[in-house]
Amino acid sequence: MTRNKNIKEFKEISVALAGNPNSGKTSLFNGLVGRHLKVGNWAGVTIEKYEGLIKYEGYKIKIVDLPGTYSLTAYSPEEVITRNYIIEEKPDVIVNVLDGTNLERNLYLTTQLMELEVNSVIALNMYDEVKKQKIEIDFKQLEKLLGSHIIPTNSIKKEGFNSLLHHIVRVHSGALTVPKNKLSFREEVEKNIERLIAIIKGDQILVNKYQSRWLAIKLLENDQITYSAAKERAIWLNIKRELLDVIGKYDEIFESSPAMIIAEDRYAFIRGAIKETVQYPKEIKKTLTDYIDSILINRILGLPIFLGLMWLIFQFTFKLGEVPMAWIENFFNFLGKGVSNIIGPGLLQSVIVDGIIAGVGGVLVFLPSILLLFLALSFLEGTGYMARAAFVADKILHKVGLHGKSFIPMITGFGCSVPAFMSCRTLKNKADRITTMMIIPFMSCGAKLPVYILLIGAFFPVAYAGNILFAVYLFGIIVAILSAKLIKTTVFKGESEPFVMELPPYRMPTLKAVLIQMWIKAYMYIKKAGTIVLLAAVVIWAAGNFPVSREINKTYAEKTYKIEYDQKLDNKQKENQFKEIENIRLSKQLEYSYAGRIGKFIEPVIRPIGFDWRIGISLVAGLAAKEIVVATMGTIYSLGAENEGSADLVNKLRNDEKYSIATALSLMIFVLLYVPCLAATVVFHKEAGAWKWTWIYIGYSMTVAWVLSFAVYHIAKLFLV
Amino acid sequence: MKMTELKAGDKAEIVFIKARGEVAIRLVNMGLVKGTRFKLIRKAPLGDPIEIMLRGFLLSLRLSEAESISVEKIGHVGDGKPMGGGGFKRRGR
Repeated sequence: MTRNKNIKEFKEISVALAGNPNSGKTSLFNGLVGRHLKVGNWAGVTIEKYEGLIKYEGYKIKIVDLPGTYSLTAYSPEEVITRNYIIEEKPDVIVNVLDGTNLERNLYLTTQLMELEVNSVIALNMYDEVKKQKIEIDFKQLEKLLGSHIIPTNSIKKEGFNSLLHHIVRVHSGALTVPKNKLSFREEVEKNIERLIAIIKGDQILVNKYQSRWLAIKLLENDQITYSAAKERAIWLNIKRELLDVIGKYDEIFESSPAMIIAEDRYAFIRGAIKETVQYPKEIKKTLTDYIDSILINRILGLPIFLGLMWLIFQFTFKLGEVPMAWIENFFNFLGKGVSNIIGPGLLQSVIVDGIIAGVGGVLVFLPSILLLFLALSFLEGTGYMARAAFVADKILHKVGLHGKSFIPMITGFGCSVPAFMSCRTLKNKADRITTMMIIPFMSCGAKLPVYILLIGAFFPVAYAGNILFAVYLFGIIVAILSAKLIKTTVFKGESEPFVMELPPYRMPTLKAVLIQMWIKAYMYIKKAGTIVLLAAVVIWAAGNFPVSREINKTYAEKTYKIEYDQKLDNKQKENQFKEIENIRLSKQLEYSYAGRIGKFIEPVIRPIGFDWRIGISLVAGLAAKEIVVATMGTIYSLGAENEGSADLVNKLRNDEKYSIATALSLMIFVLLYVPCLAATVVFHKEAGAWKWTWIYIGYSMTVAWVLSFAVYHIAKLFLV
Repeated sequence: MKMTELKAGDKAEIVFIKARGEVAIRLVNMGLVKGTRFKLIRKAPLGDPIEIMLRGFLLSLRLSEAESISVEKIGHVGDGKPMGGGGFKRRGR
């Protein structure tokens, strides 16, 4: 569309969708905007912002899907976003989406929108369900009471969409009007509102910015955001005096606060409106939700079913993900080889193949698990089981200061921290979310396994291998639990989210809705993590390859030359020796490089925990990805890039007198606990949303890793040597 | 009595909410105010949280939150006692 303002072909209408979670608001939004969907983030929070632009009857209608909320108080980020958007952005029309089968609860938000006195249209969603349940609604009368047009909609079949758009345009243009809504409070409250309005009227700036009546109600409700807005004004003294008076009076008359009384009156209004206009069927019928719940969350089966489903998600995400992951790896290996053949050996080849292609591959390799995990999660979320999972698991997690919903990210952490961090978005409370994110890396991820296998293979008898591996995982879990407790009692002292959560009716999500959610997560990962991870991969590549030592190259070129012209060797022997020499050269070059220097530089720090500079280099390289720890050790021991459990490396380590069981244990603990790979750290930063958290997280995991490795190393040395 | 003293299947009415601050607002936002009638559906497998039905929908809350809610028991499931309000009518009476 052209942005030429002279051509007023299309007039713009801005529309915001507001409604409860699980009211079908998102599918209504998806249905309305179709593929004209734009995803972003609300400023400062990790809540996704959905926008879409459609054309209708010569209008451009910009639709914003506000986060699902139950209310317009100022306690959750969703509520603050919703009310700030409505008050500050002043959308032309608000579409209030209601779950038609659950009007009483859904109308609470409606009453608060009514107090704002904005242009609104009500979409009575899930109308097919309403008809199926034989609920009869007197639309005309309800419209009069609520002061808004009500359009029955069904977002899955896109029924009522035209009528909805038609009403939006008409309400905006003023062609359709509605009577003022009939919401009022008991006499005392109304009197207090009047008095407050009279005071507010004395301040022109407040009057211009807010609806006076709404402001008065919010002040009576002890709403913190409006409080701080009013506090800056000169009339605050008058307001404060009035409020103190009211609070004292209500305590005396009602033994309650004004906020409670106002809420009671809203519910009373809703109850009255429903009694007047809605007819529910007479016969008693158990709902499908009752039946499913009586099995899924019953006292005996609830926990086993929950654990079983978690196991399934895990298998689905990582076992099924292994196949496409192998394809991606193979593809990038193939691509690397192909490019190598075209470009020929040299620095350019190295930067493209080992730097860029390996870097892009390293980003994309996570994609299958992200897609599969979010396919599973959005399905469970869509059906309504997710809330049940939190219900079942909450007691255990609450003991260590976490939330029932922390369970899924933690389990996912055993596969990969990247999708685990991303799945923390289901935790709405910041303290719960950050704490869960901090402990996820202690859930030993799949990429750390090769390191354990190598070290266990080198230092422990086969009979103990399984037990040692299990002990390492268990150690991680224990550290995670203790860390959660620590973080919750220090960083987030006293911040505990009340667990008051709806268990929504079971519904079958549409394939489209699930796929959209999955795609959005994948897109966000590629867009946000991709670029930075790629850049960092190139930096780490450079650290391992620069500066190039001419001397080393010269020495080994000479050696190669000697072998080449050695008459006593046949071709096969020559080839073997070439390989050996190249491996030694790579090892020397790595030692000479920045990474090698860093390894040596940090040696004093890691010596107390039993490591030398060679392990130091591997740990630095391991920041790129944990699998690289083993490959780097292979390079340093002049074995070429090695795979886990390779007999050569196992033998080298076993025969190296510098290494003992104590070193092996210490190294496993360190790899288990220290900062996870770069991709994960970048995703952590994006999801946590502030440098502060990223630094705490890096500092904390490094400290814990060092301290515990130190302890394990010295205890093991005392008892095992 | 406190909400935590109810058994699965009990119907009750809220008489007083002791909680203040954020917890109180959360409870109110989810429909728990003085006079609200509800039914205790079940306790979680490990005994905490609990699940109640009010205003035609299901809500879970922790014992620590339910602790602050005083209720009066009005009946038990199947006794035909009305739960009041439109909500429960959804499931029929």
